[in-house]
Amino acid sequence: MSSFLSSICRNINLIAFTRNPIGQFTPCSAMPDWLVFFLVKPEDTGSYNLIEAFPYLSCFIEDAEQHWQAKCAEPLSSGVWIEIDELEHELPLEASVMYLDGQEVLLLQQLGEKYTQDLSRLQQVRNGLLTQEMLESEVKRRTLEIRKREEEIAIKLVSLTSLRDEETGAHVRRIGLYAAVMAKALGWSSEAIDTIRVAAPMHDIGKIGIPDRVLRKTGVLNDEEFNVMKKHTEIGANMLRGTKIPVLAMAVDIALNHHERWDGTGYPQGLAGEKIPISARITTIVDIYDALVHERVYKKAMPEDEALGLMQDMAGRHLDPHLMAVFLSLLPAMRRIRLEVTEENEERSDLEETEEVCV
Amino acid sequence: MLQKKICLLGAFSVGKTSLIQRYVNKLFSDKYLTTVGVKIDKKQVTVGSTDLTLIVWDIAGEDDFTSIRSAHLRGLSGYIVVIDGTRKNSFDVALALHKRIKTELGDVAAVFALNKADLKAQWVINHEHIHALAQLSYPVIETSAKLDQGVEDLFMGLARQLVPENSEV
Ligand SMILES: Nc1nc2c(ncn2[C@@H]2O[C@H](COP(=O)(O)OP(=O)(O)OP(=O)(O)O)[C@@H](O)[C@H]2O)c(=O)[nH]1
Ligand SMILES: [Mg+2]
Repeated sequence: MSSFLSSICRNINLIAFTRNPIGQFTPCSAMPDWLVFFLVKPEDTGSYNLIEAFPYLSCFIEDAEQHWQAKCAEPLSSGVWIEIDELEHELPLEASVMYLDGQEVLLLQQLGEKYTQDLSRLQQVRNGLLTQEMLESEVKRRTLEIRKREEEIAIKLVSLTSLRDEETGAHVRRIGLYAAVMAKALGWSSEAIDTIRVAAPMHDIGKIGIPDRVLRKTGVLNDEEFNVMKKHTEIGANMLRGTKIPVLAMAVDIALNHHERWDGTGYPQGLAGEKIPISARITTIVDIYDALVHERVYKKAMPEDEALGLMQDMAGRHLDPHLMAVFLSLLPAMRRIRLEVTEENEERSDLEETEEVCV
Repeated sequence: MLQKKICLLGAFSVGKTSLIQRYVNKLFSDKYLTTVGVKIDKKQVTVGSTDLTLIVWDIAGEDDFTSIRSAHLRGLSGYIVVIDGTRKNSFDVALALHKRIKTELGDVAAVFALNKADLKAQWVINHEHIHALAQLSYPVIETSAKLDQGVEDLFMGLARQLVPENSEV
């Protein structure tokens, strides 16, 4: 090789080898200083086993072989690997192979500055990605926290009414959970599912404005009393209206419309079919289910099959028939909620919480 | 001596290089220096009565800019998939990588590392995630390269799978 070309090779930290028939590599340019540490041995024959010297090449040699056999003149690159040199510095290396003038050629280059630049660019990119990932997960965590607080506030609000009527905290929580199961099956977004889980329990919140003589009456309500009772839908909606909080916006819909009927015979507005917000149609179904299968002060619990029979009769008249079918298909999940979220269990977990606080 | 090529895989910054550094050189640094290119280390281990040299390939982390070259997986006897317990994304990347290797190489020995166990308070990987991993029926080992926890177990967990059973004591 001309000394001119040799100088170029030296300047770009490159060395060219040709491969001999026994698979050893013979340099055809001067041996650079940085390579001596890896190659030169006392019994030096002037040709080298590069695969032994650089184990990384073991994964490249198969591709190289094919490349030579195909007599390709374009270079095929091995990808970058790192060696540790005699000064314990990292040495970024890259090999490429080609077939030139009947020779199997391998170029070995120490990447130096170019590698350092690539490295610092990638380092920046990855640092940036990490920060972004961190911020995203922080936002997620906070959103979750806020959600939990919203849910707690909602439950507390609802518990104001349950002080006066006979609804229990467990019933209220179950309504939210059933509704969320429905929403998930209907393919709602995870935010919307969270929203209905918190909003549905507030459906009866307007009962706080119903006088005791009506709310706590044990017998059947007369017409006048029933008209007063019906007002809980509008009272609830008015209580919850007027904020920009999504949970409360849905809670307004539910509170106002959960006594509407599919055939238009419900109250307060006599809406029919899909005019009734779907959140309310869902809540109507799960509220009736829960009320029927649980004991109340004024009634016994109904066996589930009987309750479901009754509800199926109501489908198409009182209840949205499509949603009713969805509800039935989800029965095993509903049942688990019914059996798991009970007054006793709630009390127990309350107790555990208090104990934790005491500790 | 028996030589086995193994590699560490996983999303960027999960601690692949740190685990190797801890295992091979007993070192750890808090500073994040990303790996570009492949670094190969060696470590001798003894499984039962068999001496074995692990040839450990540290492959650059996978992200949108770099993906693992198939050539790097040639001759692979086993791999460690590293997950950063504080980053959900690294869990997803781990599963995807594991799936890819399985389709490319078939059944090879593997271990999952749940790294950064010293930061457990900040973990987002929960029981459900761990359960899902365990379902794949490879060992799942919690590690901390920082505190040198589980690191020896991790590599030995893989090495044990690499030695034919009859040579174990
Ligand atoms: N707290 C803690 N930090 C760790 C642990 N292991 C690694 N780190 C830190 O995590 C960061 C990334 O570690 P690396 O070992 O460079 O990660 P890598 O997977 O090799 O990253 P790439 O090469 O970019 O793919 C560094 O800042 C390490 O100090 C650990 O067990 N605990
Ligand atoms: Mg690394």
